[in-house]
Amino acid sequence: MSAAAAIAPPAPVSEARRSGLALVVLLIAPIALINALGFLVPVLNLARMSFYEVEPTGAMREVYTLATWLTVFKDTFYAELILNSITVSLGITLLTLVCSYPIALYLHRSSGTWRTILLVLVISPLLTSAVVRTYGWIAILSDSGLVNNALSAIGIAPLRLMFNKTGVVIGLTEILMPYMILALLAGFGRLDPRIEEAASTLGAPPFTIFRRIILPLTLPGIALGCLLCFVLAVSSFITPKLLGGGRVFLLATEIYDQAIVTLNWPLAATLSILVLVIFGGALVLYTRALRAIM
Amino acid sequence: MQISTKFAIAAAIAAGLSSHSAMAQQTVTLMAYSGLFQERYTKAVVEPFMKANPGIKIEYFPMPNSAQMLGNLRAQKAAPQADVAIMDVSVSKAATDEKLLVKIDEKTSPNVADLFSAARIADVDGVAVTFDNLVMIYNSDIVKEAPTSWLDLADKKYAGKVAIPGMPDIQGLSLVLILEKARGGFNHLRSVDKGIAAMGEIAPNVQTWEPKPEVYPVIISGQAVIGAGWNARAQVNADSSNGKLKAVLPQEGSVFQINTINHVAGGPGKEATAKFIDYALSPEAQKAFTESMFYAPTNAKALISEAAIARTAVKSMDKVIPVDWIALAKVREPIMDQWRRKVIPLSR
Amino acid sequence: MTDRITAPAAGQAGEGFLSLKGLTKSYGGFAAVDNLDLEVPKGELVAFLGPSGCGKTTSLRMIAGLVPATSGRIVVGGQDLTEVPTHRRDMGLVFQSYALFPHMSVARNVAFGLEMRKVGKDEIAQRVKEAIALVHLSGKEEHRPSQLSGGQQQRVALARALVVRPSILLLDEPLSNLDAKLRDEMRNEIRDIQKRLGITAIFVTHDQVEALTMCDKVVVMNQGRLEQVGTPVDLYETPKTAFVAGFVGRSNRLKATARDGVAEFAGESFAAQAGLSGPVEIMVRPHRVVLSAAGADATAGDHRVSGIVARTIFAGDILQYDVDVAGQIVSVELATRGGETVLQPGAAVTLSWRRQDVFVYGTAA
Repeated sequence: MSAAAAIAPPAPVSEARRSGLALVVLLIAPIALINALGFLVPVLNLARMSFYEVEPTGAMREVYTLATWLTVFKDTFYAELILNSITVSLGITLLTLVCSYPIALYLHRSSGTWRTILLVLVISPLLTSAVVRTYGWIAILSDSGLVNNALSAIGIAPLRLMFNKTGVVIGLTEILMPYMILALLAGFGRLDPRIEEAASTLGAPPFTIFRRIILPLTLPGIALGCLLCFVLAVSSFITPKLLGGGRVFLLATEIYDQAIVTLNWPLAATLSILVLVIFGGALVLYTRALRAIM
Repeated sequence: MQISTKFAIAAAIAAGLSSHSAMAQQTVTLMAYSGLFQERYTKAVVEPFMKANPGIKIEYFPMPNSAQMLGNLRAQKAAPQADVAIMDVSVSKAATDEKLLVKIDEKTSPNVADLFSAARIADVDGVAVTFDNLVMIYNSDIVKEAPTSWLDLADKKYAGKVAIPGMPDIQGLSLVLILEKARGGFNHLRSVDKGIAAMGEIAPNVQTWEPKPEVYPVIISGQAVIGAGWNARAQVNADSSNGKLKAVLPQEGSVFQINTINHVAGGPGKEATAKFIDYALSPEAQKAFTESMFYAPTNAKALISEAAIARTAVKSMDKVIPVDWIALAKVREPIMDQWRRKVIPLSR
Repeated sequence: MTDRITAPAAGQAGEGFLSLKGLTKSYGGFAAVDNLDLEVPKGELVAFLGPSGCGKTTSLRMIAGLVPATSGRIVVGGQDLTEVPTHRRDMGLVFQSYALFPHMSVARNVAFGLEMRKVGKDEIAQRVKEAIALVHLSGKEEHRPSQLSGGQQQRVALARALVVRPSILLLDEPLSNLDAKLRDEMRNEIRDIQKRLGITAIFVTHDQVEALTMCDKVVVMNQGRLEQVGTPVDLYETPKTAFVAGFVGRSNRLKATARDGVAEFAGESFAAQAGLSGPVEIMVRPHRVVLSAAGADATAGDHRVSGIVARTIFAGDILQYDVDVAGQIVSVELATRGGETVLQPGAAVTLSWRRQDVFVYGTAA
């Protein structure tokens, strides 16, 4: 390639470069097109709809107004909603990380058939819909469910494990764990058993190896997994609907209610745009964190 | 042999004729609720209509709720695919305001003349096709003595065992309106403070404000034992659970929920659409559907069996609190706000 | 630097600084390392040499504590370390893959072991600086490992292992990932540093040249067993087994049959182990064979056989003849001096060699 470039006159070189660029554009074009049609256009539509006028019955007029946006900014309910969504999702993300990390680390270190079996076990919940899995949790967490039956068998009063924030956190944590584990695994590339052994021979006890070597080396995976799970937690509504018992107010469930029950599409659109803004913020934080880690 | 030949020729001619008429066959697309409603409505109304009108085919296009029907109508505004939509009256109002519907009246449908006055709603293009009402439902295996008052839901013995579809669902809203009246309120369009306060007394007992998939199986399964639901579905579930689920109309009364039938503007069905709508409002269709699913009829001339009418609110009209859902829509937001701040926190 | 190692007084006479006693590692029924006994005196550089899978790396990893021994003892300076976890063994290990901490600078990598030993900040800075200077990397302190070449990374690994002044330095094929020129350079450097510091070191390699040129002693291993321990000269001149003779240096291996301690090949008799009968291998190194034209008076050598040149290979400094002797090929290597006649295939020749250059090993299982 470089030899050819050295021999060839300058014009064909830039032409070659141009045709290389053309190839890149050609390869990117399909996904760019799909993204534009499947994501950008609907989002722009949402943005436009958030400025439509809406009547109390839900009738929408294509007249532009700031009313919905002003309501969202003035009504403290929405501020609480956003704050609640972010804190609950952060809590779920953290819990998911804590539960998934040891599993991912074990998976990373296992090999052969055993690893394949474990990987299938990790991924298999994704083959079932979140709705079905959430009903599974209802069977486990309800007043006469698995957990409370076991508790009452040993004489402990039943706990309220669902139809509240606890239920939503438990259910979403389990539902998001496969994503977290896969993201962590993808980010564990720099982890090498030789490096841990080197630290050990240099006098590092196991916990120090974890703190000084394993944890820093897996930070990219942690950042990726947390970003993914946070985004999924903020945007999930089925599990909070089923396990929240109408007590847990999150952005996603509110968007659902406004769009499907109350028929206030402009408000639903406004809240959706706010969710996108939160995602943008999460993405910025992720890139910053990654730059600091690497 | 000869006979059978003749028969064959006749059959061939008939087939030719019917294939001819098939070419002229009109299709009317009906957009309405999925699940139980679809099953019962198809049997009680759609199939008899098609039998009586071989030239018209009704396509049932099921939707989980009214809002999604409106969403569909909005999306297809330029070229509607549906002809008829059966949806909640407040959604019908929104669709009317967005000029998605054609007005139904005596001129387009003679049966409209026989509808109860409550079935004809001002400023809404559709007319009521079913009435339903809020009832108290309970698991009779666990609750031995039939409750009589909505405020029984606040009884300490039901702590953590009450399931009510809360606001923004209109079942929760309906309960607030009933309680407002019970506590001496006289105009729920002005204030529902008393109703909200009474809801606050029930709230600590509530296990879930979002019984899923519906409130009925949640109570049949015993996960919750008492709650509120719609009469028609409660009656059907009472039958299918062999009486385990029971429904009562408490002394404080109830409110009507109204499903309207609507003629979609610019739909492909043309005159067949009007024909079907008129049939849906006819005494025979109203009778068949009420006897099948226990929605109260909207046609005053429908002659319904005693057994079926007893299971609707028709015989207790004095207990039905009049609600102007269209006017109420304007104050729904402030009521929702009170619900969030004064009811939900008490149920944690 | 060695003065810092707080080694207890050496054990009784005859014991080395590092003693392996009956060290065994089995996986299921398979013995990766089988009953290894070894004494390594203080300050020596000892090579573990053998083909891949011979158990040399497993032995090293047992010494480091990275692999638990199935049975046997590991004693260093009189202290039994068999049950001591790796991080308290005080050994330095240099890996083939360098195993540097990718998220730390060169200086932080080197400082790691000192931090683990709770050495004071100022002393760490001083010693890290010295160690980096020792491996000629001054000025690269703040570089990340990924910014260094392979050779530089291996130097960092060496500095990181040495800076803690370990009781034993373990090197696991440290030069295998380097190119030939760098390998020569690093070979000398490791040897120099080891001698200068007087540190006891184990050097695992599959490369006999590395083992012979660098090490005081060589331990030849095969299939988990120790074949022979000795100085490079011992191994080369008096290999005790056919495996050692074949693995260390190049050899002709001629199949023959022995009767009552005498092996016959091409009409010549070779002394074998007393009373040995059955199939044997006669070994002679190619450059110890003297080649003369057939019929010429071959004065040098106790043994003499005749053959026909089958192939001539001229490799510049070496001229190699493959000679067909009684149906087997005997390679002969001659150092070229210039001006000699190069024999062509088909030429009849006489080969001769001295008695001490021949080894006869029984091959019956």
